[in-house]
Amino acid sequence: MRHPTDGTLRRLLDEPAGVADADREHVAGCAVCRAGLAAAQRDAALTGAALDMDADVDVDRAWSRLSAATAATAADGRRPQTAAAGSRWRTALRSPVIAGVAVVTLLAGAGAAAAADWLPIFRTERIAPISISQADLLKLPDLSGYGDLEVTEEVQLRGVADAAAARQATGLDVPRVDDLPRGVTGEPSFQVGDRASAVFTFSEAKARQAAAAAGHTLPPAPAGLDGSSFRLTVGPGVAAVWQEARGLPAMLVARVVAPKGYSTGVPFETARDYLLSLSGLPEHVKSQLRTFSADGRTLPVHVLAEELTSASADVDGVPATVFSSRDGALTAVVWVQDGVVTAVAGSLSTEEVLSVARDLEDR
Amino acid sequence: MELVRGRAAWSVLSPGGRGLPSGRAGRKGEAVATVPGREAVRADLEQVFRAAYPRVVAVAARVLGSRDEAEDVAQEVFLTFGRSSVPAGEALGWLSVAAAHTALNHLRSGRRRAHREVAAGDGATVTPDVADAVVTLDERRRVRAALARLPRKQAVALVLRHSGVSYADVAAALDLSPGSVGTTVRRAESALRKELNRHASSD
Repeated sequence: MRHPTDGTLRRLLDEPAGVADADREHVAGCAVCRAGLAAAQRDAALTGAALDMDADVDVDRAWSRLSAATAATAADGRRPQTAAAGSRWRTALRSPVIAGVAVVTLLAGAGAAAAADWLPIFRTERIAPISISQADLLKLPDLSGYGDLEVTEEVQLRGVADAAAARQATGLDVPRVDDLPRGVTGEPSFQVGDRASAVFTFSEAKARQAAAAAGHTLPPAPAGLDGSSFRLTVGPGVAAVWQEARGLPAMLVARVVAPKGYSTGVPFETARDYLLSLSGLPEHVKSQLRTFSADGRTLPVHVLAEELTSASADVDGVPATVFSSRDGALTAVVWVQDGVVTAVAGSLSTEEVLSVARDLEDR
Repeated sequence: MELVRGRAAWSVLSPGGRGLPSGRAGRKGEAVATVPGREAVRADLEQVFRAAYPRVVAVAARVLGSRDEAEDVAQEVFLTFGRSSVPAGEALGWLSVAAAHTALNHLRSGRRRAHREVAAGDGATVTPDVADAVVTLDERRRVRAALARLPRKQAVALVLRHSGVSYADVAAALDLSPGSVGTTVRRAESALRKELNRHASSD
């Protein structure tokens, strides 16, 4: 067959899926085309490096400037400024913002096993909901494209006889609920899970491939990142589950040892910023992710904007987050205290889950 | 990254676009629809601005090599956008193309202010890349001069592609077939590389 055009080779670098199978197969077996591909790659990398600009901007300041300019020319028509900070926050949550939990924490993170050479870099003490649209979620990098992900301890759930057995298995107290909400009856069943952990080892070679496939030129990796490892652990955990007549859970109370992260030496910020720079996420999403994870203590939990809303609350003085599905079928409240995440969820109202949460008693 | 579905979104960018120096890439005869009522500013301007501003600056900065100047271009583009009725869902794509055109116009018309050219990482922190694509400040300057000499379509395609816009969206923006976007981008990259090599060998 004829050699594919230079344009086809160029697209192969950015969007391999956009190139016909026949062309891809031809290139794989053709020395001339492979040389052409390599040349295209060099030119693309050179151009990328030449055009690349560090363009960190102050959006607030820029908006003030534009506002002044529009006010100067416009008779009127400006929107009134949003009054309360609270409503601005809600607006921010509704817009297709933020995300990145899994990626960021996994990169942040590492194993609770904390072998001597593991440097603790992340410990969940707070949870911050981040609303993100489906479309933006798809822009998150798939970790497997940037290195090797090895699950060192699998998530394994199993039923146990009672609260005492659950406590013995996990070392966690199973909170007791004295006043069940209306519609929730009977005795709960108990589920436990052991600690789960995963190790992610960054690979520059893999990242380069993934970046090319996503249409980006891989920026130079920070020194020491290639080959460095990150461990994330979560658990053990325990859940008490109340069934409803049809077998669906009516309510669930769960406690899990909060996610923790460790690294073999590369600072969390270095890895996070680098990964975010590859992600294709809009800059405003990235900057919020950076803010949330900057202290190594706040776990950003993404909320699918199309399906969930979130609000802040408190449980006995501890800041908590209430998640509600837009169809009203599910409400959950989640908070972190002393390194343990507790959640109460069910087909309940916000008032009901908060009431259960505030009345939990340790056995 | 899919910015925009279909090409309708891009047709607003045309030589008739009010206040928008869009060059010759737009389709003729279609103008930016402006909001009825003189100088009315669209209600969603702040929301769109906050979401899209960093992206718009980044596109312009790739052309201009200067963040300050890129921010000037972004202001210009958003002022035009604020008076337009470009559908909100198509805003990001429209703004990206407008930023590329406006920045290229600045580059060409010599309307450049005396801005310091800033290299990513200011040179000192540029570490050897996997592709040995280390570019000095001087080379960046030459690349921008070359960018200004490229056919407009090539330059816009190149900048949008390196800003992460998909082939389909670049094609829609420039009225190209998706198949020819690669060819256009490749030609532009090849021209820029030759520009760098030419100087390197004459040094």
